[in-house]
Amino acid sequence: MQGIVRLGAAVAVVYLIVGGAIQEAAAQSPQAAVAERQALMRANGGAMQILAPIVRGAQPWNSSIVAQASRTLVEDATKGKALFVAGTGPDRVTTNALPSIWERKAEFDAIFDRMTAAATNLVRLAEANDQAGFAAAFPAVGQTCGACHTPFRKPSN
Amino acid sequence: MRRVAEASRRLRGVLAVAFVAFAAVAISAGTAHASGDRDRGAYLFAAGGCAGCHTDTKGAGQLLAGGRDIKTPFGVFYGPNITAHPERGIGRWSDADFVRAMRQGRRPDGGHYFPVFPYASYTKMTDRDLLDLKAYVFSLPVSDRPNKPHDVAFPFNVRALVFGWKLLNFEPGEYRPDPARSDAVNRGAYLADALGHCAECHSPRDRLGGIDANLRYAGDRNHAGAGIRVPNITPDPDTGIGKWSEDDLDAFLSMGMLPSGDFAGGEMGEVIANSTSKLTAADRAAMIAYLRQLKPVVHRVRGAPAQ
Repeated sequence: MQGIVRLGAAVAVVYLIVGGAIQEAAAQSPQAAVAERQALMRANGGAMQILAPIVRGAQPWNSSIVAQASRTLVEDATKGKALFVAGTGPDRVTTNALPSIWERKAEFDAIFDRMTAAATNLVRLAEANDQAGFAAAFPAVGQTCGACHTPFRKPSN
Repeated sequence: MRRVAEASRRLRGVLAVAFVAFAAVAISAGTAHASGDRDRGAYLFAAGGCAGCHTDTKGAGQLLAGGRDIKTPFGVFYGPNITAHPERGIGRWSDADFVRAMRQGRRPDGGHYFPVFPYASYTKMTDRDLLDLKAYVFSLPVSDRPNKPHDVAFPFNVRALVFGWKLLNFEPGEYRPDPARSDAVNRGAYLADALGHCAECHSPRDRLGGIDANLRYAGDRNHAGAGIRVPNITPDPDTGIGKWSEDDLDAFLSMGMLPSGDFAGGEMGEVIANSTSKLTAADRAAMIAYLRQLKPVVHRVRGAPAQ
């Protein structure tokens, strides 16, 4: 009986140590969070660079390319929202993210949700091969980019 | 008896006519401020970017109720309440008061407005546009939010000194189309210079806050006295927007997208959301045509405008 208790305690201790280590590894350094955010934003920019000329008629319509780029936007919006955790602001690390993000977090998160919804709509329209509908829905995604960069990103110099 | 009945009928007729006349007068008095066309005014309101400085967006304030901070090298100004509230807004202003404020930079009591209110641009608006704009502003919900005093140090807080500034920097009068230019370029000039007041931020200023005429539209390295860089938007290929295609410019003004795929934020993000995205495609094209024909000015604001 005592042996079982001892074994149980040992398992619990090992579990706590290993679990703690795993958790530690999962929590990013602020620098890593900023690097990941920036990579994600560049990917968004890349997707928009693919989509905008097609929407504006400078490149031919291709539903699979358009759907793929739209899916990138959906994924990035979902991931991006989770990367602005407390302690990754300009007081801790070099970043263009403004402190207003954490002062008005609900408003900030809501813009990401709007982007996810607007980009999901783009994926649907691309998969339906609805070129006109896609062109009409495209600016709504762009608006979420500007709506967030205006109050929450440091102007670039 | 019949005469009495007839007299009574007549009296009733007279009263009915009098009532209708009175009602007509009352209704016209009630809408006396709406001499302009509200729908045209709504478009001009967007093109003029009035909401930006007169709305405390950060504090989720009511449209035009004021309180937005405007940082300048001279101190911080707070946009006033310009809803039609009779005491705390501009509800008692006559058409003439409104036109004088926008065209002359004068308050109804004759005092001078600080030029942070871009009347040096709005002065170029036509009378008709000013009255339509007023009709729209007066149709919006009123707010009793009190104005916040400006936080500006002496001597820049002395209104009387603005008189001197105006002598140096202010030329009142509405825009006169140049017959040598195309209609589109004239329209673009009106949109950019009178309504959009683009040069107010896209030009450097001297120590007294006057725009440097030689570098008009050539960008500012020290916007708001805070080192904020505002791009050169003359057609110089290396330091301005000479390498941007028409489509690049339209994508930027219509939704804020830069050629890099990035999207504008900051103050230009506001301008795009409030103003340029709301212009008709023809008006945006006119604005671009106007910017395209400006004299290219070599003035490096930063490495290069974002590409």
